[in-house]
Amino acid sequence: MSETAEPDEASGASETAGAKQGTRRFDDSLLSVRNLDAGYGDLQILTDIDLDVRDGEYVTIVGPNGAGKSTAMKSVFGLTNRMAGTVTFDGTEITTTEPEDVIHLGLGYVPQNGNIFTSLSVQENLEMGAYILDDVPEGALEAVYDRFPILRERMEQEAGKMSGGQRQMLAMGRALMLDPDLLLLDEPSAGLAPDLVDDMFDRIDAINDDGTAVLMVEQNAKEALRRCDRGYVLVDGQNRYEDAGEALLNDEQVRRDFLGG
Amino acid sequence: MGVNDTYSRGRELLIADPVRAALVLALVVLLLDLVRQLVFGQVPVSQFVVLLKDGLMRGLFFGLAGIGLSMTYSILNFANFAHGDFITSGAFSGMIVTYIIAGGFGAEADIGSLALVGAGGSVFGAQLGIGVASTPLAVLGGVIAAALFTILLSLFIDRTVFEPIRDRSGITLLITSIGVAFVLRYLIAFIFDPSRRGVTDSNAVPSTDILVYDGFVSVDLHEVSLLVVSVLLMLGLHLLLQRTKLGKAMRAMSDNEDLARITGIPTERVIRYTWIIGAGLTGVAGYMFVIWNGTLHWFQGWILLLPIFAAVILGGIGSVYGAIVGGLVIGLTMSVSIVWVPTGLARASAFLVMILMLLVRPSGIFSGGSTA
Repeated sequence: MSETAEPDEASGASETAGAKQGTRRFDDSLLSVRNLDAGYGDLQILTDIDLDVRDGEYVTIVGPNGAGKSTAMKSVFGLTNRMAGTVTFDGTEITTTEPEDVIHLGLGYVPQNGNIFTSLSVQENLEMGAYILDDVPEGALEAVYDRFPILRERMEQEAGKMSGGQRQMLAMGRALMLDPDLLLLDEPSAGLAPDLVDDMFDRIDAINDDGTAVLMVEQNAKEALRRCDRGYVLVDGQNRYEDAGEALLNDEQVRRDFLGG
Repeated sequence: MGVNDTYSRGRELLIADPVRAALVLALVVLLLDLVRQLVFGQVPVSQFVVLLKDGLMRGLFFGLAGIGLSMTYSILNFANFAHGDFITSGAFSGMIVTYIIAGGFGAEADIGSLALVGAGGSVFGAQLGIGVASTPLAVLGGVIAAALFTILLSLFIDRTVFEPIRDRSGITLLITSIGVAFVLRYLIAFIFDPSRRGVTDSNAVPSTDILVYDGFVSVDLHEVSLLVVSVLLMLGLHLLLQRTKLGKAMRAMSDNEDLARITGIPTERVIRYTWIIGAGLTGVAGYMFVIWNGTLHWFQGWILLLPIFAAVILGGIGSVYGAIVGGLVIGLTMSVSIVWVPTGLARASAFLVMILMLLVRPSGIFSGGSTA
């Protein structure tokens, strides 16, 4: 139970000055996670986690290795054992919803590993992204191809034969096929060549600018905080800090403890 | 220059991969020897063509029956040892329907005998004149019944046996499937009696002799039927996998089950269709094999399972196309090998080929290809 649990009017920036320990809660969230305990099997990783993503917001989760960042994201999508607390998306409680049903509600998820069907063609990967629809939505397909023109060029290619950056684009494209309200991205820059990392972040900015809320886990914490609206710092499976990205980035203590000075 | 290139490439291969080089050498020696035997008439060309035809028939059957095995492996992640007895079940169920239709629904003999129940041999297939040409409706009914019954059987077994232990390891499922195999096999033996029976009327099968160089090769309608049915079903499956949403979902699931789930692919439904398609093809394969082969007995599928496994592993387990190619390789090897080895070693030589190929390509011809 957070001590700072007073629900604020979601006016944005300045409820607290600087990054204080603790986590604000918002009333008008698209996604809200409350007091969540979760893990794998009997192993509990997360304790009493709060997370909010408002409509169109760009939120990142940073923190040291093993802090439970990816677990938090997987819990939203129903891929962990949720032991206590609630997850609500767009007014619907999805705490116990199976992943194959969560996707119907407007959530898209791009896992860090194994996020494309390697033996299917690029086009088929995108078609699978819209599996739950009766027909492949031509508009969405065109939008993905316009966003990532390289995918149009490689449309017939076997996805497993593409480079890391192209795979990441395909994985995002797949998740965008249903035009989700919230896109969950797990370490989108992992394994990319340094010169591609900036490009990837630009593309995520563009997706967010087009109105899709983004919740991202990133090990490249500085860059992620620089670009996002708001950030969470998780430590040992618990909320430690929450504030605007810039505020976290400029906070002495956060920088010293989590951003390498 | 070209010759030099070939020499140096050969030398490199010899050093880098002596096993492969030895295999290539052995293959070349065998081919040259085959040419020698054909040229000097030790093996008449027509007889060799008969061997090829025979191997093709076997290969098509292995391929068709192997598809189901490979599909269950790739989607459900276990080697299904009950697969051979699915083949037998398909053959028996189809044959019963064929007998009943050909026997005029009890007009020619009592219905129990027509249903093959109990002390076998009271009605011979030859008595009813069973054949693709003589009793086409009965055979058609048999094909459909074989497919339907095998599908229902597999769905029933999946629901009662495999579904409750879906999340266990592949080994648990494999051992369970061995148990299922025993149950099915001995149920069949118990109900239908363990005799071997002739089911077709070989005199009623139209055949034609084709002159091939130095002799005649006979081709009969049952061989043509096996060829046509296998090729059509394989083509149909190919179109299903590449063109339809279900087929793509099956390939997606065999590729990456976790991702399939978070993409919203209803995995249990895909598993059900995997059984339906795999078992349907298996049932038809079993029935067509019996029509082609002319005999029916209770452990037929079990005997055939071994070369089918060899075919599927050779092709790259989990790959549908690998099963087809592997089936053809194993089938052709089994029949052509008797140019060099005694008939009794034909099967052994097919397995030898499998082992040797796996030395070169440990994960099979279509390695890593999953169902794609």
